[in-house]
Amino acid sequence: MRKQKRYQAAALALALAAALSGCGSSGGTSADSGQSANGAGQGTAQGSGNGETVVLHVLENDTAKSVGYFQELLDAFNAEYADQGIQAVDANMDEFTNLAENGPYGYGPDVLYQANDKLMTYAEDKHILALDIESFDCYECTPQAAWDAFRMTIDGQTYYCGVPVNIQEPMLFYREDRMPQDWQTEWDDDQNGVPDFFENWNDLYAYSKYLRDTDPSPGKDSQYGFMASLNNLYLASPFMLSHGAYIFGEKDGVLDTEDIGFAAGDAANGLSALRQFAALMNEGCIDDTITLNRYEKLADGSYFCTVSTPDTRSLFMDRLAGKYREEGLSEEEADAKAEENLKMIELPAKMPADGDLSRDSAQMSDGDWVNTIVMGGVNGYGVSSYTQHRQESIEFVNFATKYDMIKKRVDMLGIAPTRSDVAEVSGDTAARIFTSLSEGRIYLMPSVKAVDQIWTPSQTVMGDVAKDPFREKAGETPKYKDEQDMKNALETINRNIYDAIHTLAK
Amino acid sequence: MRRKRYFRKAVLADTVVTYLVLVVVCFLFFFPVLWLVLASFSNTGSIYDLAGFFPSSFSLNGYKTLFTDTRMYDYPNWLKNTLFVSVFSSLIGTTLVILTAYTISRFQFSGRKLLMKSTLVLSMFPSFMGMTAVYLLMVNFGLINQLWSLVLIYSAGAPMGYLVQKGYFDTISGSIYEAARLDGANNFKVFLRITLPLSKPMLVYTALTQFAWPWSDFILPNLLLKNKDLWTVAVGLMHLDETEFTRFAAGAIFIAVPIVILYFALSGFLVTGISAGADKG
Repeated sequence: MRKQKRYQAAALALALAAALSGCGSSGGTSADSGQSANGAGQGTAQGSGNGETVVLHVLENDTAKSVGYFQELLDAFNAEYADQGIQAVDANMDEFTNLAENGPYGYGPDVLYQANDKLMTYAEDKHILALDIESFDCYECTPQAAWDAFRMTIDGQTYYCGVPVNIQEPMLFYREDRMPQDWQTEWDDDQNGVPDFFENWNDLYAYSKYLRDTDPSPGKDSQYGFMASLNNLYLASPFMLSHGAYIFGEKDGVLDTEDIGFAAGDAANGLSALRQFAALMNEGCIDDTITLNRYEKLADGSYFCTVSTPDTRSLFMDRLAGKYREEGLSEEEADAKAEENLKMIELPAKMPADGDLSRDSAQMSDGDWVNTIVMGGVNGYGVSSYTQHRQESIEFVNFATKYDMIKKRVDMLGIAPTRSDVAEVSGDTAARIFTSLSEGRIYLMPSVKAVDQIWTPSQTVMGDVAKDPFREKAGETPKYKDEQDMKNALETINRNIYDAIHTLAK
Repeated sequence: MRRKRYFRKAVLADTVVTYLVLVVVCFLFFFPVLWLVLASFSNTGSIYDLAGFFPSSFSLNGYKTLFTDTRMYDYPNWLKNTLFVSVFSSLIGTTLVILTAYTISRFQFSGRKLLMKSTLVLSMFPSFMGMTAVYLLMVNFGLINQLWSLVLIYSAGAPMGYLVQKGYFDTISGSIYEAARLDGANNFKVFLRITLPLSKPMLVYTALTQFAWPWSDFILPNLLLKNKDLWTVAVGLMHLDETEFTRFAAGAIFIAVPIVILYFALSGFLVTGISAGADKG
């Protein structure tokens, strides 16, 4: 009996051991690949040095994967470095995976592609390596403004923690085949071949108002002009930044997070303009609704134009091609027609200085305008501090930011490159975005961790201001009646951001 | 006579009101499901292409892309992973729960009451409370990015919910066991030959509940599975792009199908199991 019990216990222990033996690590991460590499990445990009292949895990964005660019990049790199024993593979994680959470435990990527604010948030907490940027192939042809997006100053020393790839800024998307037939006679006062509503905000407002006034549907909800989620600071930033607002000031050449400038300059005028435009939209403008439905609504013609970032172009394209297919076109015809009709341009360059969008642009002089300034970002590559293959990772970043790969990226994804040589040969839009960055018309998202705290306070107040016209329509008392109310709203944003960074976080 | 007629009217009114309430409640529960089912057949794939509540045109594209367009979202693989985790969790978890419940029900040993009280109190805490600790433990055991780690956690946590099974075993008469022991059966034989055959409804109920939990869980797989190839359906669906609503709806509907079939097929056992287990606490 006792013997039998012993056998049973032994059998159970064996079964448990067998089950647990299947639980060993095979994650394929920066840490475990490091273990297999035995000291790789110590100043040389020559593989592991013991015949084993060094495997780099690269995190790219989903759009680059879905259109096939990332696979081409990996194939090109692996072909080039096959004899050096380096192989790059897809990190195969969510594109927004948290390096701070996974990196220290060895489950993060070696190389990651992110926006500058995200990358620099990691950098501030030392999750990203500082790089010697002058050694990169793209150094000479990348403007300093783009490098600055990845700059960090510690104890007077300047470090760069990312290599720029492309510029992100809010762009205007519209359908060429939805342009008014008479735009050349009715909407091009200066006869320069560009519709006035793409040149200044007053005419965009006027055309949007025209569309709303002539909406044929009984519910007056089928035809809109310019549409955007006005609570979204990134997309609606031109209203404030163009009038002198800023996010963080500078002190001794370093960002000063105590100096918050949403209420600076004539930002109140910009907020008035935002409120004015909200009256021509539907209530979707006070939250994320328009951000989510813009692809569908632009494709079905409900929105004349909308705002989004260049990397979402393929989503607009897919939806528009889908609409054409529904209309009976073949797949090829639909794709070709979508390619032909979907246009992506910069936002109108001129905004009224006094914030009154209803003024007739023909009656306004140069002094009545301010230049549109948009919030933008620079996406780029960073190298994880937890990589076991520093040199190989740097080699990969260098390869991915060379002319050929960036050109291919532009061709496949329609992004705006930071490399001047690629921008020159990549069409008008890419060149214009590049020029805007160089000329300061793109306000780059500050590359500090504190930038995480700006979104919610600004979103709350901007959404509340955008809601004002709907309060009026519902017979309620509007909250933002004059300039002072707008200033108070902006001061509220400043105060809430300050509290979030300096008071509540302590 | 008048009183009789009054009672008839009252009964009729009662029936009508009861049915009306039931119909309204059914509609409230059924409508979101119907909406999701119809959305999964939307032709455009977008949630914003609705004519009123429902899509303006229908097609099977959502289901087709779910299984064919796997470059970004590998649904068949997610399904395979989910099935793996659920089946093994169910097998191991059921074994552990049944053994725990049987032991607590049949044997008297020191600390039994304390153990029962402790497990009762511990099972009151929501499982996500310990997620940070679970994550750190899994990191240290090298069990991140392992489907077996999920099986381990689901199975190990399963015996905490042994009370229903214990209630069922309590209802089995002690004289059956005594007879078996008199015939020379040891504890293991009694359990295998006597208890288990008598506990089919409870086994089915336990296996189903142990299967259903991992099948739809999101928090734990999302925490432990970093690699996209290892994602379960719940994690994968949550990571779908905002423009992929039809695919999301189709995926959500499809994941519900096996569990619904299982429940219907085994409903007889299930009802017996639940009611039998509820006899004693």
